[in-house]
Amino acid sequence: MHIFGLFITGYQVAFVAVAGLTVLAAVGVVLVPNILRAALCLGVMLMGVAGLYALMNAPFLAVVQVMIYVGAITTMIILAVFLSNRVMKIGFFQAVYNPLLAAAAAGVMFLFLLVTVANSVWVQGIVEKTPATKDVGVQSVATALLQPYVFPFELASVVLLAVLIGAVVIAKEDTADES
Amino acid sequence: MSHSLAYGIPISWFLTVGAMLFCIGLFGMMVRRSAIGMLLSIELMLNAANINLVAFGSYLKLPSIAGQVFAIFVITLAAAEAAVGLAIVINIYRNEQHIDADKISVMKM
Repeated sequence: MHIFGLFITGYQVAFVAVAGLTVLAAVGVVLVPNILRAALCLGVMLMGVAGLYALMNAPFLAVVQVMIYVGAITTMIILAVFLSNRVMKIGFFQAVYNPLLAAAAAGVMFLFLLVTVANSVWVQGIVEKTPATKDVGVQSVATALLQPYVFPFELASVVLLAVLIGAVVIAKEDTADES
Repeated sequence: MSHSLAYGIPISWFLTVGAMLFCIGLFGMMVRRSAIGMLLSIELMLNAANINLVAFGSYLKLPSIAGQVFAIFVITLAAAEAAVGLAIVINIYRNEQHIDADKISVMKM
């Protein structure tokens, strides 16, 4: 479709919508004073990132993102906020030394990254202009996880087991210590 | 049979969104004083890194699944980090009735 002489595909429209929502929600995560609302903004932002994955031809990762990040991590953060409910009273501006300095530092970092991205010459033929349409679906993810990446895959399960036990031990009420 | 989906999205767009999310997370990390707020900012930065990984993986001429696999591992470790971090936060809150990262100065109480 042509708008003002520019050829615009539906994917570009979808990208701008999803990326705009993502960045807006991310700004909400850092600026909303109420930490519970910030956590809900994080949920919106993670959904947006899932949309970006779908646009990058990675549908399996989009589903994983929704299930683990939105479904599990956001829920866990919201529960932690409930368990430490005095947190919600920490305002934004009382919790800042100098927001302008922090914004300047982050802005300089962003400009640096932007200049790097804009000036990078992608090696011809290695990085294409558009995502490849070759199927990189569930089956190839499974093959990759169970063939070349089987060791990190098993290591991840050990890490998760250790984290499960460690989190319970840390968060457990000390009833019988130093007796 | 190349079903030529005219995506028309250059890789730099995704990298720019990743850079934006990273810098917003960096800003939040410097500005927030509550420990949970800092954890939220860390999630932002991890997602920015994931976007870059998946973008490079799927924009290669021979698309590599490695980008997505790395992103899956990052998501796994982010879940682990959030679980341990929140357990520590709850423990600190129970002992000190606040989670202000600037006032937490002892590791053993």
